[in-house]
Amino acid sequence: MKAVVEVPFTNAGTSWAVPEDAQALAAELRRCDADGRKAVLFGGGTLQGLGNPPRACDLAISTTKLNALIEYDPRDLTIAVGAGMTLRTLANTLGKHGQFVPIDAPHPERATIGGTLAAGWIGPRRARYGRPRDYLIGTTVALADGTLSSAGGMVVKNVTGYDVGKLFVGSLGTLGALVRINLKALPAPQTNRVAIASLPEATRERALEHLSTLAVEPTCLLFVRGFSREIDGTDGLEGRLFLYYEGTQAVVDRATRELRSALGAAGVPETTILDQNAARSYQRLIDAYTSTVGQRSLTLRSHGLPGDVLVRFITIESIAREYKLSLDAIADVGTGDLIARFVSRDTETISYLAPPLVEAARERLSGLTIIAGDPAVRGSIDTWDAPPPSIGKLRALKERFDPRGTLAPGRLVGGI
Amino acid sequence: MDGAAECAPLLRGRRGGRRLDRGRFTSDLAFPGEEEHIPRFRHFGTMLQGLADDLIDVLGPDAVKTAPADLVVYGYDADTAQAEHLPDAVVIPRDVREVCATVRIAKKHGLPIVPRGAGTGLCGGTIPVQGGVVVTFNRMNRILELDVRNRRARVQPGLINLDLSLAGGPHGLFYAPDPSSQKASTIGGNVATNAGGPHCLSYGTTTNHVLGIEFVDDDGEVVRTSIDDPGYDLTGALVGSEGTLGIVTAIDVRLMRSPEAVRVFVAAFETVEVASEVVSAIIGAGIVATALEIIDKVMIDAIEAHYHAGYPVGAGAVLLVEIAGYAEEMNANEAAIAEIVRSHGALSWTAARDPAQREALWAARKGAAGAVGRISPNYYIQDACVPRTRLPDALRAIEEIARDHRLIVGNVFHAGDGNLHPLLMFDRREARQVQAVLDAGTEILRTCIEMGGTISGEHGIGYEKRETLSLCYSADDLATMGRVRDVLDPARRFNPNKIFPSGAMCGEVKTSLA
Repeated sequence: MKAVVEVPFTNAGTSWAVPEDAQALAAELRRCDADGRKAVLFGGGTLQGLGNPPRACDLAISTTKLNALIEYDPRDLTIAVGAGMTLRTLANTLGKHGQFVPIDAPHPERATIGGTLAAGWIGPRRARYGRPRDYLIGTTVALADGTLSSAGGMVVKNVTGYDVGKLFVGSLGTLGALVRINLKALPAPQTNRVAIASLPEATRERALEHLSTLAVEPTCLLFVRGFSREIDGTDGLEGRLFLYYEGTQAVVDRATRELRSALGAAGVPETTILDQNAARSYQRLIDAYTSTVGQRSLTLRSHGLPGDVLVRFITIESIAREYKLSLDAIADVGTGDLIARFVSRDTETISYLAPPLVEAARERLSGLTIIAGDPAVRGSIDTWDAPPPSIGKLRALKERFDPRGTLAPGRLVGGI
Repeated sequence: MDGAAECAPLLRGRRGGRRLDRGRFTSDLAFPGEEEHIPRFRHFGTMLQGLADDLIDVLGPDAVKTAPADLVVYGYDADTAQAEHLPDAVVIPRDVREVCATVRIAKKHGLPIVPRGAGTGLCGGTIPVQGGVVVTFNRMNRILELDVRNRRARVQPGLINLDLSLAGGPHGLFYAPDPSSQKASTIGGNVATNAGGPHCLSYGTTTNHVLGIEFVDDDGEVVRTSIDDPGYDLTGALVGSEGTLGIVTAIDVRLMRSPEAVRVFVAAFETVEVASEVVSAIIGAGIVATALEIIDKVMIDAIEAHYHAGYPVGAGAVLLVEIAGYAEEMNANEAAIAEIVRSHGALSWTAARDPAQREALWAARKGAAGAVGRISPNYYIQDACVPRTRLPDALRAIEEIARDHRLIVGNVFHAGDGNLHPLLMFDRREARQVQAVLDAGTEILRTCIEMGGTISGEHGIGYEKRETLSLCYSADDLATMGRVRDVLDPARRFNPNKIFPSGAMCGEVKTSLA
């Protein structure tokens, strides 16, 4: 079988499997487990830059054929799909009935729902709607020994035994394979709007202060610097605000009035409104998170509280100056996420600077992970920061679920 | 203030006349053959004195209770169908270090540990079935940090649910999960059962509001989780685990901004089936309501006799609707819902006049179970979920099941979530009725599963429903849950005999202790 997606850590010795259904996928895992071969799971390959390369990859298993619509009665506002369904197909299926699941992930035309959950990916809209995991109401997983196991169900409230599916969120394929995913859906917002405003540095703090007191909150409020090819709007030298609104027309209109007045009071000269292409503009923003500049960039993500995201942003700016690298950054004021893409003129420079740069950033910012960058740039830098306090339990779970270390060994934090 | 003792008077009315017999089932409501399945951790005599000495040594005499009279209130929760089981000791720790010490001492003595919030659980989840040490959190009931800017709080497990929203209120924030017990139940207990409440429809259940957990593991060590940590979502797996994976000692929760506008309406219908069709229609039309609650005739009459909140006595069912959001959305949403209500032949459609009446309607709804005392000496509340479109079928089936067993049933439930709460009325002095209630309860659960539903939406499995869990899951599914427990509670010391069917549990206990 030929490679399904291009991924850096597969090699000539890697064979590919594209199982037709959950049973076939479970059988592949069982055979690997018995033979001592290491298996790595792939959805659309869009988030394979998260996590360390596995120590071995004898069999790459694609979930892309597990893309069936399994159960969907729109009146129940719940949907069950194969883990390999793309986010675009999922969104279209729900959209036909005026529904959606608020999941922001890069390249929804390729990204799968299973892969997005397994990667633990989270985006800006979680400030309003919660995380993708909050929409997960049931799962079927295939374990390393080939067991197919379900938890949860097709109801929106469920306290029957352990919520096992949650453990597979963020597991990066090291605990088992998500094969079926049950989600709760929401009625889709009536309309959406993007507002963009260049923000001179002098007005930055005051503008954000004003925005935090708005009666109608935007769905997302981000401060963007750079990403001029990826994200709409221009920021001159000092950055721009990117706001995304969802809701009824009346509420979005009121929000816009409040926004203009707040920004005006803060001395921000002009606000651009996008209505026609708001959803596309928002998706471009999301795609930017993992976008790379050839072999010349390295992207870090810092988790933290919304209240100190600007402070962290300033820290990142100063690190970029110290290393004389250009910086593209997104400071998500709603969630506290900070995305920083360092870019140099050539691969050699960034490869040389990357290890001390990451070390310096980790000294000054906690919870810093690498989320994108060419392998040539990343070299052997650990994707993950220091392991979380629960690492002992995570290791023990891995040991109990995958005692032979069949699944993507070394991919997760702490070498799991 | 002792939260459990505080609740006891509420319970006494429907628990009168129960004989207490330490360590043995006193009720004919026990599952048949249950006794044989209980592996005994317990050792009597000098060993227990050793336990008391060790606990008092470390925690001091005022943090440890061992006198039988002091243990009585810890032998039961708000589940009316379970027998009491006294613990060997009750510990009231002041901080996490004392919880760690308690876990180590219990482990040394080979005794189980059962965490307990306010004892408002409805499935026997906090009953110390094998005795052992009950850890109660009346002293760990504070808000450790209220972070208004980041809309989060760190709280101790004994904090009463409502107190969190009261603390957030002045800052325009609230804690969304609002179980009917919220004036008494604790955040720790809510985490154990993944508690819901009427407003889950819009805001989700407890698991959607827990950002991180600090817990004490089986070695007596402190472990901290956060949903921002990389790796497996341990926080998510701990919520709803009913105290079987560790002792939660602090919780980080998300607070939400209070809505700008709220409106509450009451619509009356001929039958509960029509009311539930209206719920499906509202959801199907994509209207976002914050709560959609149905109360049937039996319960309306009980509630109104008790609370005089303004529900239309005599109607077959009422639908309580709440919408919340921005001022601009209110009129359109109200009009859309009113139109659906009218087109389904509503008998009436009334808006709450003012915040006071809104509160009165909600207080009566949340206190509904308490009003049952006017019409029946005892009641047994069931908790099940069905896909929302199956609500009318489920309600018809519940009615039939109750009729077959010659029982009166009242329904008051979270219709928008498909979460049913039939209340079966009975007199526990009548053996026939007791058996009928249990049989009917199980039939209702089976019916809900057949409709694609599940056996608990928000109360948990606890002790009461553990034998029915295998109706929901295959042996492989349960074994996978067992693997999680193997990791966090290998000796099955934390709240044993809960959630999992006795057969499965016994097998696992043997395996893991071998």
